[in-house]
Amino acid sequence: MPSRPPVQQPPDVRVRTTEVRVQSQAPRRRSPYRGYVYVLPAFAIYFCFAVLPALHTAYLSLFEWDGVTLGDWVGLGNYQEIFQDSILRRSVLNALVLVVFFSFIPIVVGLAMTGLLARFRRPGMGAYRFLFMLPQVVPLVAVGVTWRWLYGDDGLVNQTFRAVGLDGVTRAWLGDFGAALIAVGLVGTWVLSGLCMMLFLSGVQKVDPSLYEAARLDGAGPVREFVSVTLPHLRGEIAVAMTVTTVAALASFDIVYVTTNGGPGEQTTVPGLLVYRLAFSEGKVGLAAALAVVLGCLILGIVYLINRLSRSES
Amino acid sequence: MERTHRVRRRVAATVCAAALVLPLTACDALTPGSAAAVPGPRSVPSSTAVPDGDTTLRLQFADAPLMVDALIAAFEKGHPNISVEPQYKTFSDYVQNLKLTMTSDTAPDIAQYAVGMTDLAADGHILDLAPYREAYDWDKAIPPVSLDQLTAGQTSEATGGRALFGVPAGLSMTGIYYNKELAKKAGIDGPPKTVAEFEDQLAAAKNADLTPLGVGALDSGGLHLWAALLNQLMPTDDYWDWVNGTKGATIETPAAVTASKMVIDWGRKGYYNDSANGTAQVDSTAQFAKGDSVFLINGNWAAGQLATVMGDNVGFFPMPGEKASAPTVASGFSVSYAVSSRTEHPEAAGAFLDFLTTPEAGQIISDNGFMPPNPDAVKKPEGVLADIAEGHRRAVADDGITTFPDFAAPAMLDRLRSGVQKLIANRIDPSDYLDSLQDEWEEHHAE
Repeated sequence: MPSRPPVQQPPDVRVRTTEVRVQSQAPRRRSPYRGYVYVLPAFAIYFCFAVLPALHTAYLSLFEWDGVTLGDWVGLGNYQEIFQDSILRRSVLNALVLVVFFSFIPIVVGLAMTGLLARFRRPGMGAYRFLFMLPQVVPLVAVGVTWRWLYGDDGLVNQTFRAVGLDGVTRAWLGDFGAALIAVGLVGTWVLSGLCMMLFLSGVQKVDPSLYEAARLDGAGPVREFVSVTLPHLRGEIAVAMTVTTVAALASFDIVYVTTNGGPGEQTTVPGLLVYRLAFSEGKVGLAAALAVVLGCLILGIVYLINRLSRSES
Repeated sequence: MERTHRVRRRVAATVCAAALVLPLTACDALTPGSAAAVPGPRSVPSSTAVPDGDTTLRLQFADAPLMVDALIAAFEKGHPNISVEPQYKTFSDYVQNLKLTMTSDTAPDIAQYAVGMTDLAADGHILDLAPYREAYDWDKAIPPVSLDQLTAGQTSEATGGRALFGVPAGLSMTGIYYNKELAKKAGIDGPPKTVAEFEDQLAAAKNADLTPLGVGALDSGGLHLWAALLNQLMPTDDYWDWVNGTKGATIETPAAVTASKMVIDWGRKGYYNDSANGTAQVDSTAQFAKGDSVFLINGNWAAGQLATVMGDNVGFFPMPGEKASAPTVASGFSVSYAVSSRTEHPEAAGAFLDFLTTPEAGQIISDNGFMPPNPDAVKKPEGVLADIAEGHRRAVADDGITTFPDFAAPAMLDRLRSGVQKLIANRIDPSDYLDSLQDEWEEHHAE
């Protein structure tokens, strides 16, 4: 711990930035558009590859189009259909359930692991971090295939239950109407917990060690230390983790597609899967685009809410 | 500060307005799909004579690459001036890109027939082969029922008869496999003659503490079971009308309700593998090969694998009818090939399709585990393959090969899959299930 960089660095930086700002005031006043020129290359790329396709999607959502022949203008008809279709509504509910497994649980698990790993720095920490980060490195399709085997009839999950005598609990997890969504959700938990932990661990490293020292001198135990020192400093990281994982839950596709393809029935059907199906196998490109727009707005709304909440708290 | 703010806002507003207005002002040109020219219905020329000179045909396909390679090699030997260049794609890639591929300027000359072909045929992106059907006399070499699956529900402008948009190479068919050893253990002495007898056999297997019927309902195994029962109960013509989208056709019939009820009942009685809804077709086949169930619902595409693993221990029968005298009806399709209307060599493509109907091609098809269109022209298969060939022969003789129910509409596969999963778990009323299918059907056939 003594080898950490000096803590006084932040104020230094702040002073320098103000200086820079003062210097740059003069030329900026002379040519107010200069700033935009600097932004232009990035903006052009962003506009071409993110904004334009999004607008194009929104435009397509106003047509009834099979992907090949001439489309028919239907205005907002596709949106009307989305809000009337029970399968589409069901898929949004499923996605919201997945938020619990993709976002809430991973953040809690990540915080718990951070509490355990961050208090003392021991040799071998890197190995832990590597292990918990591993699910992030594996492609999601491979994750899905692996879990399909684990959840299978004779998969490891059932074998484990049988080994401890819980034969009554075993089932084909992904084919069970009650268990499928939870089973898929837990795959997400497995993937995203490591990501949350990594985020929180890197956040903890910025915390001034003297704060921990002070807390300990005041007689704080590990729990108190975590709640009073670690947690408040991680607010930013928690907001980031929440944003990333919520988006992953609402826009989930690969895991569901590979493990259950939305089944059994519509138990695990999510909007992402429907967008794909509608556009590519059912020839309803307009409806798919409309659903994508609605999904995009929903995600933006929730992300905005998360950011708003985390800001107002600080 | 105030000024930059205003400028920034003004620029942003301009950009947004431009982005919104640009596409709208050019609305006509930007209407999706306007770039794809619609050639309208087109058919092959009346002449079958292949012009002299070297020709290269590009063939895009998704099934049985080994079989295609062997067919091409044999064809090129007989036609030294035509070379065929195979382009293999995995099935899902193939189906997803089919429409884009076939409407692009670089469309392959020959392409494997798949669900989306009906729409492509309607817009003239693939050629009507009806003139060649007459010129080459394909009806002699191929059971007409297999050709009639490839009409896309259209009349030929060239001949006035039924249109033809593909020529089948290998044929497929679904039915029930059984494990002979396990069947004997359960006191079952041979293939059932009626559905009722089959139900008794399932019950006998259950009583013997065996899993009666393996179903891979995670993907399409469940819908094969439902369709197999439906084939026995619903008049074949009504079923055809429904799949072909004939005006006024409906699946909401008492026969379909009965078939759906049977799927529920068999589930309630515990005839399926416990995890049917979580098992893929391939996995159900592997489990059956291991001896996990007495019967298995699947298609002839699994026969090669099962014959290799189980040898003489496996047999096959098409789902029996309500009465022993009932015709054999089973769902099946074919690995077929269509010709793009953008090809410059329709005659050469026709020659290749005609080659598929020859005995030489039939033998290659048979060797690769598919049923050749003309079974008399090939060596007699053995074991379970002989059972399948016999079942198919009977079905063809009874005019009883029907297409799969998902051909009724592009979105039908998903409705069927999730619907049958609900039937198996007894989570839906048969009438609600059929209603969901009919809704989808009406939506697709509304135009």
